[in-house]
Amino acid sequence: MNCSKIKTSNLDFFYKDHQVLSQVNATIPENAITGIVGHSGIGKSTFLSLFNRLWENIPGAAIKGKVLIRFSGDREQGFCDINAPDFSALELRRAVGMVFQTPNPLPMSIFKNVSFPLKLAGINRKKEVNELVKRAIKACGLWPEVKERLDKRASILSGGQQQRLCMARALVMNPEILLLDEPTSSLDPASEEKIEQLMVDLKKKCTLVMVSHNQDQVKRICDHVIELGI
Amino acid sequence: MAVLQHIGWGKGYSPEIPARAIFFLSALFCSSIVVLILGFMVLTGLPLIEHGQWVNILTGDWNPARQSYGIWPMVLGTLWISFTAMAISFPLSLGCASFISILANHRTAAILKGCVGIMTGVPTIIYAFAGVFFMVPFIRTIGETGSGMCILTASLVVAILISPTMILFFMASFDNVPSALFDAVAALGGSKVQMLVYIVIPACKKGIITGVFLAFGRAVGDTLIALMIAGNAVQRPDSLFDSARTLTSHIALVSAADFASMEFKSIFVCGTVLYMITTVVILIARAMEHNYTGKENSDE
Amino acid sequence: MNRWGERAVYGLTVMGCAIILGSFAALVSYLMFKGFTALNLSLIFGSTPMVDALFLRREVFDGIFPAMAGTFTLIVLAVTAAVPVGLLAGIYMAEYSNAFTKKVFGFLFDLLSAIPSIVVGLFGFSVILFLHKHVSEALVPSLIVSALSLAFLVLPYIVRTTQIAIETVPQSVRITGIALGATPLQNTIHCLIPHSFTAILGGVILAVGRCAEDTAVIMLTGAVASAGMPHSLFKGFEALPFYIYYISSQYSSEAELAKGFGACIVLLFICAALFTAAALIQKKARHILLYTR
Repeated sequence: MNCSKIKTSNLDFFYKDHQVLSQVNATIPENAITGIVGHSGIGKSTFLSLFNRLWENIPGAAIKGKVLIRFSGDREQGFCDINAPDFSALELRRAVGMVFQTPNPLPMSIFKNVSFPLKLAGINRKKEVNELVKRAIKACGLWPEVKERLDKRASILSGGQQQRLCMARALVMNPEILLLDEPTSSLDPASEEKIEQLMVDLKKKCTLVMVSHNQDQVKRICDHVIELGI
Repeated sequence: MAVLQHIGWGKGYSPEIPARAIFFLSALFCSSIVVLILGFMVLTGLPLIEHGQWVNILTGDWNPARQSYGIWPMVLGTLWISFTAMAISFPLSLGCASFISILANHRTAAILKGCVGIMTGVPTIIYAFAGVFFMVPFIRTIGETGSGMCILTASLVVAILISPTMILFFMASFDNVPSALFDAVAALGGSKVQMLVYIVIPACKKGIITGVFLAFGRAVGDTLIALMIAGNAVQRPDSLFDSARTLTSHIALVSAADFASMEFKSIFVCGTVLYMITTVVILIARAMEHNYTGKENSDE
Repeated sequence: MNRWGERAVYGLTVMGCAIILGSFAALVSYLMFKGFTALNLSLIFGSTPMVDALFLRREVFDGIFPAMAGTFTLIVLAVTAAVPVGLLAGIYMAEYSNAFTKKVFGFLFDLLSAIPSIVVGLFGFSVILFLHKHVSEALVPSLIVSALSLAFLVLPYIVRTTQIAIETVPQSVRITGIALGATPLQNTIHCLIPHSFTAILGGVILAVGRCAEDTAVIMLTGAVASAGMPHSLFKGFEALPFYIYYISSQYSSEAELAKGFGACIVLLFICAALFTAAALIQKKARHILLYTR
């Protein structure tokens, strides 16, 4: 049994006085794929946004309770309350990557899309950037398809390729946790298969949390399932 | 069968065709006014253009005593004031729009947006009046030369006049950036400032340029502020503290003159020049818009 | 970009905001401060008793009541002239135009909206000059000329807001009428216009505001410093913005200057009232149209 990576403790989530999540106590194991399932509108995407504090960008949202994450490596400190006042949301988002339901490449070249997080973090040395970008794109199995056209706009890629590009972008900073919000729901079966395979390969070094509506997908790749229910 | 007759599937259902004609004629009437304006300007100003070659009119100096009706000093006055006002207003407006749209939190942004909205409703005459009694003495003491009625003062007031329009235009541009991009950058740990500098402003380049041109057009077209504050001396300006006359204030001043004289005709040439400047501004704005919707993603 | 760069950018944007809004607040406070002392009934009615002035029994000579009446009459005339034509033209642009006419007319309307107001005034002036010479000596710059020139000035606002209001009617509403067998005209009159009513009304109120505040047009086409209450379409008239302009260069005492400031406050108040009325009407009208029988 893997150690736990993320824990929520008595978590309530409110959106403008309406309670969306109530007393959620969940544990997410390390280096595994955890699926989040439940009925439509129950708050699965909201639940996911708790782990990188993206819920703070929604006006009218509030939480009670704790979200604890155990970072490793040079961030090792035991379980940290990520909502503590002195905990930096920006730093958090470099350790926790996110892939959205609809691919959202930035209006830049393929290369610049993947190097953008490095720019945000202040990593500018050309050699280092090139290496990290190449590694991330290769990890997503996208390298053979884009190596000749790294300077072209990202929007020329197909839906499945764009989603893998977004995954590469999320992975370039070597996050310990990767959040995926229905990552394959807007893609064709062939692309879906590629991404599922990618996720299985990634779990060796990364903890993945995925929201999915697709029962079969959950059965195929998830090691652990959390069902949100009232 | 009776039902179909009621619906009026018969030929030439009465109100449609005349209605269509009325709508078309209304639109035609409105647009013909624009053309008529130009027509009247040119025709009434024609005697002056024939009197001295048009090059002289446009580039010569104004000296009625010597039969020289050049409007060049006025053109310069207009350009000096408009460019100075833009130079002052553009960075401030861009900063303000950026702050309200992107950097401020929701409550502050709503309040500030309301304030900017209020600014757009203030009449030009009010800015001009306040400018005469508030800004002029102020600049007089700072500049230590002249009466305070100069290009600088006028530019400052025009800058306040055109700022709200530019701010709201920029904000509309920023709002057009798809929210998926905001989510993407936030998830990558980008701060709001990084979002602004790396994503929003590059994406809104065309919108910003269009806003600049439209505001410039507005600055060129302002009459009251230049009339009441810029001093109205007919001379080629050499410094910001010089008094100057613009094309617009020239029209206001000379319109009371004897209308058979050549001086009087000069205001129509001014009108034509103003019309031309406006046309160019609108053409550029429309061209920008055309390109903008055609190419959503820019290469970087 | 490092921390200091980010802080600098943030600071600059805050400064931009502060400078612009601060200057605005300073100017308005200055006006209030200077004009505050003049805010009383004698500003408006001079030495004439209010009741007599309101019932037009006696002329007001040293108050701004005639100017306010002039501005009011001007607005009514200009808007009455501009709204019907503008509405019809806007409907044409939204519903009946093809790509070519849309482009051509659209360009011309944009041009009309951008033409400096003094040029529009000059146009009105040159037309009346032409008519004066060739038709009748009695035709001079007057109320009717100003009203029509102002109508030309605000026409593009009405056309544009009508056009956008109708174009943004959602497809679901648009289809409803057609699916029930309505002709384009019936659909426009019974479905599209009621739905976009509030937006169109907003455009009209915008036009009203523009007429109230404009000085450049009326200065060339008939506004004078002293003409009493507006009693003829073909004579000069007084208007509030023109009064303010006139005072700024012709004031002969501190008291008169204070009156000028007072007039500014009155004009600001009128514009603010219009602004708020627009917002309220839009909310109320929407409620009435959509939620009552």
